Order: sequence, then C-alpha cells, then structure tokens
Amino acid sequence: MSWRDALSMALASVSRRFGRTALTVLAVALASALLVALATMVITANSRVIRQVSKGGPITAVKVLAAEAAAGQLETDSLRPAAPRDLTEADRSRIQELPGVTSTAGVLTAEVLVIPPFAPGVPHRIFEHAVGVDVTEAPDLPISVLAGRLPTAGSLSEVAVTQGYLDRMKLDADRPGQVLGTTIMMGSPQVYRQLGGVLDYRGRWVVLRIVGVVAQDAAAGEFVVPIEQTRADRTWALGGVSDGDRFTLPTSEYSGLVVVADSLDDVHRVRASVDELGYATSAPEQLVANLRRYLHVVDIVLGGIASIALVIASLGITNALLAAVRERRREIGVLKAIGARDRDVMRWFLPEAALIGAAGGTLGTALGVAVAFVVGLVVNGYLTAQGLEGVRLVAPALVVGAGILGATALAVVAGAVPAHRAARLPAREAVGSL
Amino acid sequence: MSLAEVDGALSGAEVTLRGVSHAYGRGAVPVLHDLDLDVDASGFVALTGASGAGKSTLLSLIGGLEPLQSGSIVVGGFDLSSLSGDALADYRRSTVGFVFQHYGLVDVLTARENVELSLALSRMSPVARRDRAERLLDGVGLSHRIHHRPNELSGGERQRVAIARALANGPRLLLADEPTGNLDDETTVQVLGLLERIHADTGCTLLVVTHERRVAARARSIRRMREGRWVRG
Repeated sequence: MSWRDALSMALASVSRRFGRTALTVLAVALASALLVALATMVITANSRVIRQVSKGGPITAVKVLAAEAAAGQLETDSLRPAAPRDLTEADRSRIQELPGVTSTAGVLTAEVLVIPPFAPGVPHRIFEHAVGVDVTEAPDLPISVLAGRLPTAGSLSEVAVTQGYLDRMKLDADRPGQVLGTTIMMGSPQVYRQLGGVLDYRGRWVVLRIVGVVAQDAAAGEFVVPIEQTRADRTWALGGVSDGDRFTLPTSEYSGLVVVADSLDDVHRVRASVDELGYATSAPEQLVANLRRYLHVVDIVLGGIASIALVIASLGITNALLAAVRERRREIGVLKAIGARDRDVMRWFLPEAALIGAAGGTLGTALGVAVAFVVGLVVNGYLTAQGLEGVRLVAPALVVGAGILGATALAVVAGAVPAHRAARLPAREAVGSL
Repeated sequence: MSLAEVDGALSGAEVTLRGVSHAYGRGAVPVLHDLDLDVDASGFVALTGASGAGKSTLLSLIGGLEPLQSGSIVVGGFDLSSLSGDALADYRRSTVGFVFQHYGLVDVLTARENVELSLALSRMSPVARRDRAERLLDGVGLSHRIHHRPNELSGGERQRVAIARALANGPRLLLADEPTGNLDDETTVQVLGLLERIHADTGCTLLVVTHERRVAARARSIRRMREGRWVRG
C-alpha cells in the first residue's frame, strides 16, 4: 500500500470517527496551546524584563559620564564619579575603537529654565536639564517613547518630555498624549559682564512644541531635545563667562556617552577599558546577571509544566489509537487476510496519528498565540495604568513552527506503539475467535 | 458484465493437506487431528460440521491466516510450511480470496474503495484499480451501489461486495467461511448462485465452510468434520 493510499484511508478513518478524533485533536490542541502560549509569553516577558532593566536601551549598554572614575568603580553597577573631566569627540572616537564596542551615542545636557503653558496650581517656571541626543542614534539610547514621537533630528523647535514633567504639571500620567501639541519656552543661560564689571545673566530663548512623552535614562533631565539644540546652548554659554559659582562654562563636548557592547559577555570588558581611560561608568551588570538566572529558573519551571502537558497529550493520542486498534482488530485481520503486510497496516495508523497531531498542533498553536495576545492585552492594560510602556507581543516563527511540527512529530511517535501493535496482530483476527 | 469477462478463465489451485494437526493455548486445546485432504484445481468442496468442529481453523490454515503447526499444506504449488511474514502475505494476496460470514468490509470505505483496497495492496495504479473495482462490482450486480458504505447496504449486498473484493486480485482459490450465515433464505440463494457462477466462470477452486445442509448440497463434494477429524456420511 502506498503512502498516498494510506493517507486516504487515514482521512476516511478520522472523518468517519469524527467525535473521538475531535476529542483527541482537542487534547493535542490544548497541550500545544499551553506550550505555545507559555513560550510566547516567556520570550516576551524575558525581553521585556531585560529591556526594562536597561530602560529601553540596548541591554549591552555602558553609560560613560564626563567625569573621572572614583576608586572601586568596577565593583558596582552604579556611577561613582569623581572630578569632572571633559569628554571630547576625540575621546568618543577612542572609546569607539575599543575591542568589543559596537557603537557609541553622545549625550549633551544643558541647564535650562522652562516656562510651561499657564495653568492654575502648576509651576510657572521650571529649572531643569535639557538632554540633547542625536535622534538618529535613538535605538542605541535608553529612551522609550510612551506617547507621540521623538523630536525630528536636527529640529530646534521640538521637544519630548518625561513623566516627571507631567507630574509637575499635575497631568494624568495614564493619558500622556494630552500634553502633545502644547508649547513651552526654554531658555539657556549665559553669564556676561556688564559695563563696570558686574556679572549678569541673560537667556537664549526658544519656543518648543512637545511632540512626545518618553521614559529615558540617558541623563538626568525632563526635556529631551535633538543634540543640536543643546550644542547651541553650549555655544551660547561659552560666549559668556563663568560666574564661579552657579554657572560654570560647559567645556566638555559631551556630558556622557552610551557605549553599546557587542554582547553581554563583552559588557564588563568594555567597561574596564573605559575605566582605564579614566572615565566614570555604569552598567546593570550584576542586575542583569541575577535577572537572567531568575528568568532561567522561570523557564525551567514553565518548561516542566509544558512537558507535563505534552506527555498528557501523547498519552491521549496513544490511548485513542490503542482504542482504535482494539476496535478495528477484525478490520486489521481482514486487511492482512487480503494480503496486507505488517508495514501496510502500520501505514494505515501512522498517517492517522500524524493527521491528529497536525490538526491539533495547528489548532493549538493558533489558540496559544491567541491566548498569549489576550494575556498581552491584559498586561498592557496593567502596565499602562502604572504609567509604564506596554509590551509588544510577538509570536516567534520558531515557536509557531515548533508548535505545529512538534505536535505532528509527537503524535507520530505516540502513534508508533499502537501502529506496531496493529501490525503485529495475527491475520486470524479476520475470522474472529476460532 | 459477467465475472468471466473481467478476468477471463482462471486456473484453480490444487490443495493438498497431509497430517495436519492444530491446537490452541500452547497445545492445551487440540482442534485438528492428523487431517489429509485433496482438492483438485476445479474442485468445489463444502466443509461441514457442527460449531467447534474445526472447519474455520482448517480454512484459516489453508488460507495462510494461521501458522501451520504440524503436517504440510500445499496450495497451487505453494508449500505453506515454508512461508512466513511478507511471503505469506504475498501468497494470500496473489492466490487466495476470502469471503467471511461477517463480510469483513472496512466500514469507513465505500463499496468501490473496499474492492480497491485489495488492488491497492498489489500496487495497481489508481485509475486501473478504480476501473477494475467498478467492473467487479458490476459483475456481482452492484454497479448502482459503488459509492455506498457498508452500513448503507443490505446483508446480501455487503456479501456481494466482499465477494467482489475477494476476486479483485484474480485468486486461484476462493475460501468462504459461512458466507450465508448472516443472510435470509432469499439472499442465501442469490449468494450461493453467485459463488457457483464464479466457480463456473473463472475456474477457481472453491472451498466453502458451512453448517447448513442446503448450502453444502450445492458443492460437488462434501467433507464432514467432527471434533477435528473427518467423518463419513
């Protein structure tokens, strides 16, 4: 009997015994659904947790500050800055050339005075920092857009604000979009000497439209602007003098850098190299390492649960096919009586098992992805209520493929025992008990 | 269409048994005792006897359904004591056609698919076996029932489908185990008539197990069994 004939017979068998086949398919589908849903959620949760630790930026990022490193810097994840130290474009190039470095992104902050739109009960002016970043390097920066977008690269009229600004303005953090489109005035100071030698202050004022709300950890500050804006502020400040107290001249080209290492294993090496160059650094090395251990434990536990589900599904398939063998003893005997060989009988049962597995796997994978997405919606609702960025649930193609093919393969394996038992039945079953 | 037109005349198969004994339960339940039998190629033999006499066991041994324990059976030149596994399956497929009391049809397949099943085992092409199955069903008067499943057919129709299937591979030996056991009188007459016509048209050897006298009376010779032995009369 050819495989094509065997498949036709299997199709006839499963369609005719629809009720029992449907129950078996359902058992496989439920197990597959559990597996796929768990896998999808675990993968998403893992990336989400790690990403949250890195504040939206690459997990392999090392933050470098324009300051000397204090002793014992490498023993802690946190920044331990000592005296200020200029960080120039040449220094950035040297760091970029270090082994294990994928990219660097520069950050330049500026002290600013912000005048927000007038509203009763909120501050009329805010002393804060503007965080200037090269928007084209945003993927390498620890910045997550919560609403709207980042300012256009090079724009001198757009700004993104953090949730700290929303808090100051007593706006609902659950509705970050409400601030979009409003404008603020931002002034950067310059200290100048009046005629007669008296120091005074004046500002470089710009009107900025708020285009986005972000969570960011690139540098301290509630206003994210294109780096061209803070460079203009720096140039403006350098046109004046230092007051020797509140405002010093911003001699450093960058306030800091975000250095992306090739891999997690390279993070410590890169950090040590930057430390040798004399700059203060921070990276969530210990935190990530511990998290990865905990997440691995979670993976093992969930994998165990999924394995139990698979074993139950396998037993379901085996049981259903063994019942089919018992029920069809006489049919099998007749098949052998008319000349079927053992392998012909096996070919009758294996495609049936494969069909059950494929149908159950397909149904279960679709169900599992759907369940994962529903869970994702619920989680997103919770995260948004907490003022956090939601998750983007993606069912990896590997999980979908493994769900369907794995269930099919598992069904064939589970069906092998009943099929073998059927093949070994004696031909005398055709005439019943003698 | 007559069945002779499907295949033309076939030669039968001589059946020779010598000293055949058989027991179940590791020898605890002997059912056949030192049996000899000679059936010529054109034979039509009825094996009769009460239930438990060993008729069906003997038929199973001749048909290669049951492994031979002692003695020898030669059918159409095949020494069954030397066959096992695939070779025995090939013997059953190429030489023997079975008709069972319970019809033995696969209930999820249509009449034509049941007949085709035998041909599929012979690796005949789908087109050729479909054509042959339809001609065989036409030959047993069921051309209007080819798309019906067994549970949509009467007992007589099911048995005729089973007969068509038994003839699918052009067997030289047709073995029928109580072929009318589940049929009413009128249908019994029709099925017996069909078996006789097959025997006459195709020339195959016909061995029929029955405990009904009127069925046995249609055979050219009758062999009676009691407790695993031949008895006279």
